[in-house]
Amino acid sequence: MNWNKIIPWTVGLAAIAAALAGVVPPAPSRGFDLAAFSRLPVLEGGRLKPLDSVARNALLVIRGNQSFSFEGRTVKPNEWLLDVMFRPARADKQPVFVINDPEVLGMMGYEQKATNRYYTFEDLKPHLQVIQEQGSTAQRVDSKQRTRFQAAISNLLDRVFLYYRLKNTLQLDAASLGSLLKGAGSPQAGAVFDEMASLAYFRPLPPVGTARWRSVAEGLKALMAGDAPAPALDAYARLGAAWAAGTPEAFNTSLVQLRSLSLAGAAAELGSVDAETVFNRVQPFYAGMVIYVLALLVLFTSWLGRRELLQATALALLTSGAIVHTAGLLSRIVLQGRPPVTNLYSSAVFVGWGTVVMGLLLERIYRRGVGTAVAAASGFASLIVAHHLAADGDTMEMMRAVLDSNFWLATHVVIITIGYSGTFLAGAIAIAWALRQHLARTLEPGTSRALSSMVYGVICFSLLFSFTGTVLGGIWADQSWGRFWGWDPKENGALLIVLWCAVILHARWGGYVRERGIMAMAVGGNIITSLSWFGVNMLGVGLHSYGFMDNAFWALAGFCASQLVFVALCLVPRRGPAQRTSSTAGEAAPISA
Amino acid sequence: MSKSRTARIWEALSSLKVTIGTLLVLMALVVACTLAQVNMGTLGAVNAYVRSWFVWWQVPGTAFSVAVFPGGVLAGAVLLVNLSVATLRRLELSWRKSGLWLTHAGLILLVVGEFVTALAQVESRLSIEQGQTLNFVERPREYELALVDTSEPGFEGVYAIPESRLQAGGTVGLPGTDLVVDVKRFMLNAELRRRAEGEAGQGVDRGVGAGVVAEPQAPVTRDDAENQPAAIVEISAGRSRYGTWLASTQLGAPQSIVHGGKNYQLLLRNRREYLPYAVTLKKFSHDVYPGTNIPKNFSSLVHLSNPTVPEERDILIFMNQPLRYGGKAFYQASFGRGDTLSILQVVDNPGWLIPYLSCALVTLGLLVHFVLSLRRGVKRAAAAPVVVAGAGAGAVAQVVSAVQEHAQAQAEG
Repeated sequence: MNWNKIIPWTVGLAAIAAALAGVVPPAPSRGFDLAAFSRLPVLEGGRLKPLDSVARNALLVIRGNQSFSFEGRTVKPNEWLLDVMFRPARADKQPVFVINDPEVLGMMGYEQKATNRYYTFEDLKPHLQVIQEQGSTAQRVDSKQRTRFQAAISNLLDRVFLYYRLKNTLQLDAASLGSLLKGAGSPQAGAVFDEMASLAYFRPLPPVGTARWRSVAEGLKALMAGDAPAPALDAYARLGAAWAAGTPEAFNTSLVQLRSLSLAGAAAELGSVDAETVFNRVQPFYAGMVIYVLALLVLFTSWLGRRELLQATALALLTSGAIVHTAGLLSRIVLQGRPPVTNLYSSAVFVGWGTVVMGLLLERIYRRGVGTAVAAASGFASLIVAHHLAADGDTMEMMRAVLDSNFWLATHVVIITIGYSGTFLAGAIAIAWALRQHLARTLEPGTSRALSSMVYGVICFSLLFSFTGTVLGGIWADQSWGRFWGWDPKENGALLIVLWCAVILHARWGGYVRERGIMAMAVGGNIITSLSWFGVNMLGVGLHSYGFMDNAFWALAGFCASQLVFVALCLVPRRGPAQRTSSTAGEAAPISA
Repeated sequence: MSKSRTARIWEALSSLKVTIGTLLVLMALVVACTLAQVNMGTLGAVNAYVRSWFVWWQVPGTAFSVAVFPGGVLAGAVLLVNLSVATLRRLELSWRKSGLWLTHAGLILLVVGEFVTALAQVESRLSIEQGQTLNFVERPREYELALVDTSEPGFEGVYAIPESRLQAGGTVGLPGTDLVVDVKRFMLNAELRRRAEGEAGQGVDRGVGAGVVAEPQAPVTRDDAENQPAAIVEISAGRSRYGTWLASTQLGAPQSIVHGGKNYQLLLRNRREYLPYAVTLKKFSHDVYPGTNIPKNFSSLVHLSNPTVPEERDILIFMNQPLRYGGKAFYQASFGRGDTLSILQVVDNPGWLIPYLSCALVTLGLLVHFVLSLRRGVKRAAAAPVVVAGAGAGAVAQVVSAVQEHAQAQAEG
């Protein structure tokens, strides 16, 4: 038996199987069918989505991650949302507000602790007024000019407000939906419902007859005006009562009723809502990230021994990661009905995908293990970036008017993003070259030449894509606001990548730089691409502000600094007898197996 | 024998070093232009770094400026010459190189297109309210002093003095009348305030301007700011004196003189360009996604009426769907006044087709070059089969070898 084949295949398939395990819905927790709850469709942010997405995104925004531990057990987003909506007294005791700014903490009289950064709503309650005052003062300052304190307090105010809205969407703070329904005839009800309407975060009542999706407050107001009660109102009231009382049977029965009401109102859209729930559970990009790390670890281990087996296993893992990554990307395309890149988050996912696929291709051609290493490392890195970008909330938000064009999103945006993938891949190969040259000292001239020809080929590829993408962007701009080129920061960023690739290629064609120089310039490409990708979003000018960011500045600066170190590393001549390799390899290398 | 002087110049012009140097200069300019936009606005930064021969630095404390770096125009011109000469000199005229010829021609055209745009593109705007009919567009950053004869109902006789003439000062006679406007002072950007008691005036003795002082301000270039110009003019006709007036975009109240039985309104306003046709805004729509404020679409339903052709029709202008008419393109740009005012960006660019053409040429060129290289690569691979990992990688390897052959060809050439 050939273990060198069987083991990689088994490991690769096992990784895919593990990633897909989330497709199976979880068993009811303490009798409550939380999976059915998570699939309930609501209208929020202009689109129909499962409550699961509302819960996950809200918890991500408020707490920075998707679960927390409370009273000895792990609370998942759905349970948390149920508590917030139907058992607010309990939810107020849960530590969900992450606060890192010492001045904000000091303002409320709390000392910053190293062990716990999470605060409950009850902790914040006595200070709500000062949070509101300071936060709204800070929000009057332009977001680019806010101080650290102002940014932190305005952010806290937003999160407290989001929490407050969630609490008051299905019922008004402590007054249960059932009691609101009973009191709909009373004279004060109008004012109460108006307040609820102004706070409602999502619309849970499915369309009946000619009505659209409505919020609970709208449903209650219609009831007050003499309309027949929306059937979903009653079902939600019983759902809330059952959750508050801890009676799973009643809870599950109202879910069945809500499901059939949604089916009656929006049967056509329910399929994609259900699919989104599955997508949320599987978290393909998180799974892909883990698989890429495993691939990297196996590859590192291979340098210690059992080289053939472990390298094949690493490649198998990388391939599995790429399959999961691709599946995730395709799911997003189908769910959103849009091309893969629609915002900063999805561009990070797509850049990673591009580098992984190209890295796999290079590995297939050159078979030197470098493709695997570079692909796994850049796939992992870009998914980490995406993971952090996701903390802003819904990653499938609706497209603003001018961006609402699938044709241009599919051509200009995708092509230019592939260009980013190319420059990052070239940079990553160059870093691998520098590390092997200086640290591992395992670089024989043949591999070195192969790497340099890889970098060369990838830069040709990026130039082609960046140029085409940039020109297509110009044509889009001409179509939508009447000028082909306006020296907008995002356009300038794209132009910089094109110019830099052109400089590298011309410098090589003229023989002005050789192996070392090309490698150093390719790493420089990482800096230029990252600045063009993220840096311009921090400038806050221009028409292209599709990605808005606040605090990523230091991360970007750190990345650029690290790249400068690698540039220096590329330029330092290798010590020892093998020095001549760097001066002989000016021409393109022949391909060898 | 040393090379002739012409040959040396020829060589220098087509040098690859010049290409790389220019590309690096362009990169520096693009970075500087991007960063400068935060403070100077897009227009200011583009004028300072891109649409200038040199980047100037004003010596602090003096009025002198020193050229410290080549500007975008110079870099573009050098690149254009370098690219053209290199293409002519280096590239042999053969089928093998036809793709590269097309590509380079496309690139040259792209640079030319940007020059044409910089020189010839005119941007104006049409701010129109629902139900309103307009037959002119306005230049957002240019001004004029207008004397409008409003004596005949339904007709306006307009005498406009352009900004450049106002800057120069002196007297201007209005053609067809004996009215003379003497421009005493023009401020591109001014702040108006009420004149304090006992404060010396600026010579204005008529109209609302008599009680106002205009203080000059530094002109603005930021995208979100507009200049507020002011002019002090004396109007006369032969021996009749009509006094000295202050005209400003900030004065709301109409000011007018009566001369020869005609009523003339005095206005300082954005420069207008009158059109041989009229546009009526029938409806402006601003759609949002349900339950949010996220805009889904903006659109203006306009009626176009052109008596010269004659032509009468309705047109819907919306995002990514401009109206191209009479050499102008009308784009949905903005809106206001509770969604009843639509602002259309109007662009007049005779060279708007050039980038499309150049894009097509470059794409075609790269495609031709790629196909030709691929064919040679396949032929070579057939002649001497290279052992490449796996059967499936064969096709990819051919592509790679084609790219590498291109590299070698470039290195040799």
